[in-house]
Amino acid sequence: MMNIDNNTPAGNPLGIAGIEFIEYATTQPLAFGALIEQLGFVAIARHRSREVTLYRQGDMNIVVNADKRSLPSSARDDMPATVISAVALRVRDADTAYRHAIDMGAWAIQTRVGVMELNIPGVHGAGDSILYFVDRIGDFSIYDVDFKPIEGVSQQPPALAGMHFFGIVQSIDEGRRPEWIDFYGQLMNFEVLPEGQFFGAVPKGILLASPCRSFYLQLIEPPPGAGSLQWDEQLVRVGFGVPDVPAAVRALEGRGIVFIERQPAQAGARGALTQLYKGGVSFELVVSNRDAAGAGAQ
Amino acid sequence: MNLANFGMDSVTLAGPLESKLRACRAAGFSQIMLWARDLVEHPAGPEEAVQLVRRSGLRVTGIQVMRDYEGLSGALHEYKLDIARHLLRLCKAVGARLLVVCSSTSAHAGGEPALVARDLAKLANSAVPLGVRIGYEALSWGRHVHAYEQAWEVVDLAAHANLGLVLDSFHMLAREADMEGLEEIPADKIALVQLSDFMWRDLGSAQERIETAGHLRVFPGEGSHSAELSGMLRQLDRGGYRGDYSLEVVNDDYLQLAPEIVCGRALSAAKWITDQVLRRSLQVRGYRGRTL
Repeated sequence: MMNIDNNTPAGNPLGIAGIEFIEYATTQPLAFGALIEQLGFVAIARHRSREVTLYRQGDMNIVVNADKRSLPSSARDDMPATVISAVALRVRDADTAYRHAIDMGAWAIQTRVGVMELNIPGVHGAGDSILYFVDRIGDFSIYDVDFKPIEGVSQQPPALAGMHFFGIVQSIDEGRRPEWIDFYGQLMNFEVLPEGQFFGAVPKGILLASPCRSFYLQLIEPPPGAGSLQWDEQLVRVGFGVPDVPAAVRALEGRGIVFIERQPAQAGARGALTQLYKGGVSFELVVSNRDAAGAGAQ
Repeated sequence: MNLANFGMDSVTLAGPLESKLRACRAAGFSQIMLWARDLVEHPAGPEEAVQLVRRSGLRVTGIQVMRDYEGLSGALHEYKLDIARHLLRLCKAVGARLLVVCSSTSAHAGGEPALVARDLAKLANSAVPLGVRIGYEALSWGRHVHAYEQAWEVVDLAAHANLGLVLDSFHMLAREADMEGLEEIPADKIALVQLSDFMWRDLGSAQERIETAGHLRVFPGEGSHSAELSGMLRQLDRGGYRGDYSLEVVNDDYLQLAPEIVCGRALSAAKWITDQVLRRSLQVRGYRGRTL
């Protein structure tokens, strides 16, 4: 697909190597926690001081944050809301990645709003979301400082149906594709894929590939004629890669996840979309043969 | 081209924000360019001013103006970036999709195109998550960048979709700019066109330009450069520019007139502008008819 070596400093100067964790902020931590347990995640640790739980399966971490301060200012008490509030990127050196982003114009976050008391550098992304930069040196885990393991629970639950983080869907305003392409390109060396190239079951918008080619951002503009629709620029959906979509759908349906059946059989092998759950959250499966170590994409 | 393409600039109108908004609405304009001070100096405070604007139903063309931003280093750069970001927040609050940045006049600023381009790209990145575009304008008395061609050079060099060029006819006419050069600039890189004229032919010194710019601009069609303005408008239209035209007419006399009267003059100017472009369109259609 691409003939440049993306592991060289020229292609990937920040050494981006996938997603370390995705954080959801929610007014309904129990219901949302139960939902991602249906997806195969296991609650493995609780925050030492805040209403925050760490879920894991395979090499995926999801932080569920019920701290009111983490919700967008537009959230209302009487309306259930669950939003993707942060994405943490694995990088070679977090401080270098952070300083690069700041030099390129990113806004530094105030660390007190972050879930981690450990000072994880981060910048503001789409909507109210945060982009964190995380490096891992040796056995040290960023979770050790802030989280206390839940007793009797395996800290390394296996991935269901080979699930791994594949990508994130972001809604953008009409005509703002070039602006976001330049934003992600200049801050983090993401590269736009040719128009019309898609993975999964939702062939809309445009795809940006991480320089490590292990995950993707899908930018989606409002549908035509959606003038009156509420359409904010924000992160809207996580996509999980699986080697066999129909098998993963069967496994997840067996656990109570409901998929929208609208694709022809051929598209169904490429991906599947869950229903929209309470709080406005949905998930997507995308065919991807990435190996368990997380290196390389399909 | 119709009235929806044109907006008033609040600097042209006398009186408090409320009456400016009311006069624009009453005249049939659908947009207005605001200055940050329109909001922050409002007696009821900026939040109430923002609500006033939002309730008016007028679209905010953009927010003026970030000065002396680019080409600085160290603490000065950080300071100016911080100021620019406050203005970006104001843009977001009031729903303005454009922040106008005019070329630096600072003796502390460097003028290397690569340096200026880097600073503009940085601000363009800062503005992306807020949904605001950066428009860069050459002031005719700018220290390093004082012609639209120079401003275009650095905007092009910055290569960021969230950065565009703001063309201001006053500054272009004051420097006797070559309007033909506009054809080099892709229409989608022009963030805004600001229009005004003035009533004498020459503005030789920077001091004369500053004086006239700040006190005696007039509406298009009222000044001494109608032929040049007409050429500029036709060139922009030919190049495919379909964006906003803001009537930025800074004039001490207008500030002694009721805003309704000044809005009336603005409507005449909008008609004059449309006529210039329409004339060109008809000519082109006729030409095509003969050759095909």
